[in-house]
This record gives sequence, C-alpha cells and structure tokens, in this order.
Amino acid sequence: MVGMEHAWVLPALPFGAFVVLLLVGRYLPRRGDFLAVGAMVAAAVLFSLMLADLVQALGEEGFQGVTSGIDWLKFDTFRVRLGFFFDNLTAVMLAVVTYVGSLIFIYSMGYMQGDPRYGWFFAAMSLFAASMMTLVLADNLLLLYGAWEAVGFCSYLLIGFWHERRSAAEAAKKAFITTRIGDVGFLIGIVLLWREAGTFDLREIFQLASEGGYSSEYLTLAVLMLFAGAVGKSAQFPLHVWLPDAMEGPTPVSALIHAATMVVAGVYMVARTMPLFEAADPVALQVVTALGLATVMLSATVALVVKDVKRVIAYSTINSLGLMMVALGSRSVTAAMFYLFVHGFFKALLFLAAGNVLHATDRGAVDELGGLRAKMPLTALAFGVGTLAMAGLFPFSGFWAKDEILVAAREDQGVAVNVVLWVSVALTALYMARLYILTFLGRPRDPHAYEHAHEASLVMLAPVLLLALGAVVTGFWAFDQVGEALALPGGVGKFIYLHEPHSFEMPVAEAAGSSALVVASLLLAGFIWSGEARPAQLMAQRLRPLYQLLWNKYYMDDLYQWIVNRIVLATGAMVAWFDRVVVNDTGVDGSAGLTALWGWIMRQVQTGKMPNYALAIAGGAVVIGAVVLVARM
Amino acid sequence: MIPIQHFLLLGALLFSLGVYGVLSRRNVVLILMAVELMLQGVNINLVAFAVYLSPQEFRGLIFALFVITVAAAEVGLALAIALRLFRNRATANVDEVDTLRW
Amino acid sequence: MSYEEGLFYLVAVVTGLGGLGVVLARNVVYAALFLIVALLGVAGLFLLLSAEFLALVQVLIYGAAVTILMLFVIMLTRVRDVPTTPVAPQQSLGLAVAASLFGLLATAILITDWGALGATEEMTLVPVRELGKVLFQRWSVPFEVASLVLLVALVGAIVLARPEEEE
Repeated sequence: MVGMEHAWVLPALPFGAFVVLLLVGRYLPRRGDFLAVGAMVAAAVLFSLMLADLVQALGEEGFQGVTSGIDWLKFDTFRVRLGFFFDNLTAVMLAVVTYVGSLIFIYSMGYMQGDPRYGWFFAAMSLFAASMMTLVLADNLLLLYGAWEAVGFCSYLLIGFWHERRSAAEAAKKAFITTRIGDVGFLIGIVLLWREAGTFDLREIFQLASEGGYSSEYLTLAVLMLFAGAVGKSAQFPLHVWLPDAMEGPTPVSALIHAATMVVAGVYMVARTMPLFEAADPVALQVVTALGLATVMLSATVALVVKDVKRVIAYSTINSLGLMMVALGSRSVTAAMFYLFVHGFFKALLFLAAGNVLHATDRGAVDELGGLRAKMPLTALAFGVGTLAMAGLFPFSGFWAKDEILVAAREDQGVAVNVVLWVSVALTALYMARLYILTFLGRPRDPHAYEHAHEASLVMLAPVLLLALGAVVTGFWAFDQVGEALALPGGVGKFIYLHEPHSFEMPVAEAAGSSALVVASLLLAGFIWSGEARPAQLMAQRLRPLYQLLWNKYYMDDLYQWIVNRIVLATGAMVAWFDRVVVNDTGVDGSAGLTALWGWIMRQVQTGKMPNYALAIAGGAVVIGAVVLVARM
Repeated sequence: MIPIQHFLLLGALLFSLGVYGVLSRRNVVLILMAVELMLQGVNINLVAFAVYLSPQEFRGLIFALFVITVAAAEVGLALAIALRLFRNRATANVDEVDTLRW
Repeated sequence: MSYEEGLFYLVAVVTGLGGLGVVLARNVVYAALFLIVALLGVAGLFLLLSAEFLALVQVLIYGAAVTILMLFVIMLTRVRDVPTTPVAPQQSLGLAVAASLFGLLATAILITDWGALGATEEMTLVPVRELGKVLFQRWSVPFEVASLVLLVALVGAIVLARPEEEE
C-alpha cells in the first residue's frame, strides 16, 4: 500500500524520466515525451493515494506529519540528510505541483510540437518537477536549499530554452543573478540558524526557537535573511525585475515555473518557517508585509500599460505573490496557502490560454491582437474565466481566496495596509479586464494575425478547459461542507492553519465591498479600453509623465543597469587593473625581469678576456692569503 | 751572512712584479714574459729555503730544477699557441680575443 | 754591511730593474731585453746562494733558449700598433692587486721567526756531485717524467705552430 512514508517516490519518478531522457531520449519514439508525461501523471496518482493516507491519519490524535529519508553524510556533529516530511502543508503544495503540472505537461505535447529540442524540453521540465517536489518535501533546510538552487537552475535552463535569441539568454542570466542575490541571504540565514541548533532539521530548529534557544535579535536577523531568499525567488520588490523578462521562455514554462510552482516556493518557505517568524521580533513580519505591499502596488500600476500579453500576466503573478506575502505578514497561513492553491489553477490557466493565442497567431502584443473571440471561442471563454478569477469576482475561486486575505489584513494590520489592499483589488480588476478586452474583444488590429487565428487542438485545449473548471470550483474549498464531502476534516481553514483550525464564516463586509469594487472596476475598464480605446489614449497623452513612469517600470531596470555599470563593472575594472598591473606586471613579470636583470648583471663577469679572468684569480688569491695571514696572527 | 729574508723579499718582489705584468700587459708575448718573471721569483724562494732550512736534503734545488724544465716546456707551447692565435686572428692583443664571452 | 750583503744588493737592484723593465717597457723588444737582464740577475742570485749548478742551468736554458724563442715569436707576430698600455680600470686594479700581494707576502716573511725554523746565517755549499746522485737515484722517476713532458711539449708545439697543409 502506498503511504506517506513513500513520499520519496514522488520526486524520484520525474527524476528518473529526466535521466532516461537525457541519456537515450533521442532514440526513443516521440523523443520520449510519454515518459515525462507518464511520470508526472503517475506522481499525481500516487500523491492522491498518499493524500488519502494523510486524511486517514488526520483522524488520529496528535498527528504531526510523517518523516522518512536516509542519511547521506554523517560526521561527528554534521549531518546531511535526504529527509522527507509529509503533512498538510506539503499536501497542498504537492497537489498544485502534481495536478497542475500534469496538465501543463500534456499541454506541452501540443505546444512544443516540432521544436528541434523537443526532447530536451521534457528532460528539463522533468528535472524541474523533481526538484520542486523535493523542495516541498524537504524536512531540513540544507536539502530545501539544495532543491531551491536546483529549481533556480532549471528555471535558467528553461527561460533560455531558445538560447539562439539574445533576449532569451539575457533574461535567463538576469533571472539567475537576481535570485542569486536573494539566495545569498537565504544561505546566511540557514547558517545562522544551524550555528545555534547544530542541525539543519526543521523540527529541531522550531523546538529550539520555542524554547528560547535563540536570542531575539539573532533570530530576527536569521529570519530576515531567510526572507531575502523569498524576496528573490518570489519576485518581491526590489528583486522582482526578473519575472517579466522570464516570459522569454516557452509558455508552458511560464505557466508551470513562473506562475504555479517555483515562484510560490518563497511563499511556501515562509509558511513552513512561520513558527520562527512568530518567535522573532514583530519587525520581521512587518518587513514581510511592507515588501509585499510595495510589490502589490508596483505590479498593479505597471500592468496597466504593458503591451505584451504574457508580461501582463507576469505582472499579475507578481501582484498575487505580493498579496500572499501580505497574508503571511498578517499571520494567516490559511489565507496565503488558500490563495496559493487556487492561484496555481487560474494563473496556469491564463498562461496556457495565452499560449493558445500565441501559438495560433504568432503574435504576443495587444497592439497586434484583438477580436479573437470570434476565432477562438473556447480559449476566449477559458481566458475570461481566468480573468474573472484573478480579478476576484464572485463566485470564482479568486474571490474566496482574496477575501480571506482581506479578512486577515483587517484583523491584523493597520488602516494603511488595508487601504492599499483595497486599491490593489480595484487595479487588478482594471488591468485584467484591459488585457481581455484588448486581446479578445473589439476589432482585430493586425489582419494578418487575425487570418491565421484558429481554435487550439485538443491536446492544448483540454488542459485549458480543465484548469478553467478548477478556477471555478477550487474556491469552494473554503466551505467546511465541501471539505468534508471530500473526506477532508473540513474547509481550507480546518486543513491549513497556523495555530487553530477555524471554520469559514462568510465575511459579509469584504464580500459585498470587494464585489462592488470589482464590478465597478470591470465596467470602468470596459469604458476606457473597449472599441477605439479613446479614453485610454487621452489619458496617456494628458498624464504623460505618469505614463512614462509606468512604461519604464519605475525605472528600476535602469537603476539596476546603472549599478551594474557604475559599481559592479567599475569594481571589476579595478580588480582587473590590480591583477594586471600589480600581480602580473609587477609580481610575475617583475620577478622574472628582476631575475633576468640579475642574470645580465652577473653575465658581465664573462667578458671572454683573459686579463679580466687573471685579475679575478689574482684578486681572489690575495684575499684568501690575507685571511689566512690574519687568522694566523 | 745574508739573512734569509732578503732573498725571500726579493723573490716576493719579482713575483709581484710578474703579477702586475700579467694583469696589465696586452701583448701575448709580454704576458708570457711576465709569467717567466713570476717563475723566477718562485725559484729564488725555493732555493733559498733549500739552502737555509734543509741543507742536508736538496729538495728545494731539485724542485727549482724541475720548475725550470717545465717552464721551458710551457714557454715553447705557449708561444706556439700565440703563433697560432696570431695566424688566425691577425692580432696579438689579448683584449681582442673575447669570443668566449656571453 | 758585509761585502756579501753589498753584493747581494747590487745583484738585487739589477734584477729588480730588469723586472721593472719587463713590465713597464713600451717596446716589446726592449721588454725582452730587460727580461734577459732579469734572468741573468737571478742566475747571479743563485751563485750568491752557492747553487752553482742551478745558476748554470738558469743561464743556459733561460738566458739562451727561452729568450731566443721569445724574440722569434715577437718577430713573427709583429703588428704595427700594439697598445702596450692596458685599458683602465684593469691597470689600476692590477696595480692594486699586485701591490697588495706584495704587502701580504712581505708581511708574512717579516713576521715569521726564521730562527725557530732552523735558519742560520750559515750557507752551506751545495756539492754538484751529491746533487747529481740524488737526482738520478732518488728523483729518477720525476726526472724521466720531466723528459717526457718536454717531449710532449715539443711535439705539441710543432703541431700547433706548423703551417696549414694545402690539400
């Protein structure tokens, strides 16, 4: 019987697929894509069985999760362990990774068809899936960090999948370097925690923290360092700049890695280490909230002017990530994980549907699209569902999750935070509607693209529609009745919680308020952007400076480039100068030159003239004679 | 009687003169002459020691005899080399024979 | 000053002047002639030391054979302008070295207590007969070897000095 103790099988399946595809993929029929897809589907099935096992175990008293694993390295006090831990939090993450992942893999069979590196795509995706599952299952910080780096590496590989394109190679570099900055902090945090605890095991670290084994300042510092990793990986301000560029990768990559799974790893990590955040000084969670809010506002405003379809969705992802961080900052793991869960479905849906559009029209910017609803009705429908879910309209999944966050903020945060959140709700509805209107409604702007547009094939359409279904129904997990019907202990609040399970109560104020706001924003968007989009053009002209600010993404990319040019490269130039002049010219060439010079000096003795040699002999004899004489005196 | 130091000093003088000659002369033959001078000084020393310090044995005298013999042989050979040098280089100036330099 | 000492000084001065002439004369031939003077002076010294046989040998070999040889070679290697003044700093250095050498030797000579080594003022005559006996009995091997050396030198000199063969 498959149980939670066999959790290691889940990452092993796609990893095995990766190895096989890497070695013999090109000799297999269809380049072995069925192996990759099969591994993911099998993982999803096995996970379901483990979920059933989990549910059964939850019925028993004091269930703390199941651990399994082996020791890899063991010195006296230093232990590296491949340990896996399966509990409720793990289950939520694995559900997203396996279910959404399987659908995306199936979709890829259609989207990537004909690509010369078709086999490598599935190999890299499989490696990613294996790494992501390991990250989620890890029971110690070292393994988690290793998997963290691995998913970052796979992200690099897949963003730069079409590396013949300069922009793709640059984007991959940018992603890796930016997240690396955060990862340094993450590693420092891990080491800080390990120093006092003597172990990387999460459970033991939590134990130590609860006993007060860390001083408050020390723990706060460590926790903020950990958060630095989340800032990089989950694209929080100021390390968010890599995510929009990451859209250079193929659309399934954007859907899986940069929407559903990898980018939420930061959210998962903070959720997992929440006991530490709570034990630390409150300023830690305040930092989380602050950065989350900045992220939310920055992304929501920029998304209003972006022209590339995938990039708009990317900014919406950044927006969602910021919201999740604010939820965590408000001490609600429930709200954050609930949002993460439903987000996986509707964000992947949005990307895959956008992928359909890209695939059919070979165009990516709204400037060249429009009126596609006539040509691709099902895709348009699915995209519409995703749009409304993201905007948070009743009864789609996004509505329930977003309201949970608003409730958490109301209970834990001050007025300013709440105001910002509500403004972001309006902006979100605004920019999502803009995207939908400009892409699917109105008149086609590029007749050539419109000619080619067609509905997607079944292998690409089916996952999209299934995800659309998910975007509708997953929100209802908020209700206890729905949860119990699925043999779960209850709604999401009873499954994932920080301290106490709580039942769902309909938050009337939030529900009514946000619904009104969303509807109003949707209508406003319709007014601004439908048809000829006159109001939009007028606003762009009248508010030119504001438009420029948003168009240049608040000049953040320019700032980073300046830092690189002026500071990083300048320092590099200085170091290079030192190496060239001091080390090489003076040290190496210099000492060689010195030796050569000395040799030249010594050479002068060899004049070849006999009288000189005779002089030397005579002189030497005199000296020796003098010494002897003096010695005898 | 003549004290031994007199002879010894004279021998040393001749020897030193010879050294100066070897070091400062440029013509090959002149250098050889200076070498002969040095040998004379040596011989004086040897004979003086033989006569004053060990008159029963004749070691110093025999030694001096052999010195003369070998000096003669050496002079013959050295001059032959000088001739050869002159033939090859058209010069008897030792300063100009410096191809064995670095 | 006894007349032996006076005689000594006379011969010594002659020899010394001859030596000076060898190393200072500008003309090569003059230098060779000064060498003859010096060589003969040394022969006189040998007489003063009552080593007559040696004096004889000295005159014969040096005074005759060697000097004639040198003069012949001078003739054969005559170059019009041979600088006999050395290039500085060789000369001053050479002078310094020679002078210090002389100082060294003089010091050593004057310091030593020759009386303790058994030097008397007495000079004993060296009988030639005894000398010959010793030479051919005790020192016969070196004698033979010396003759071999002469032979080799002779052959070598001939080989070196003969003209190039025209093939």
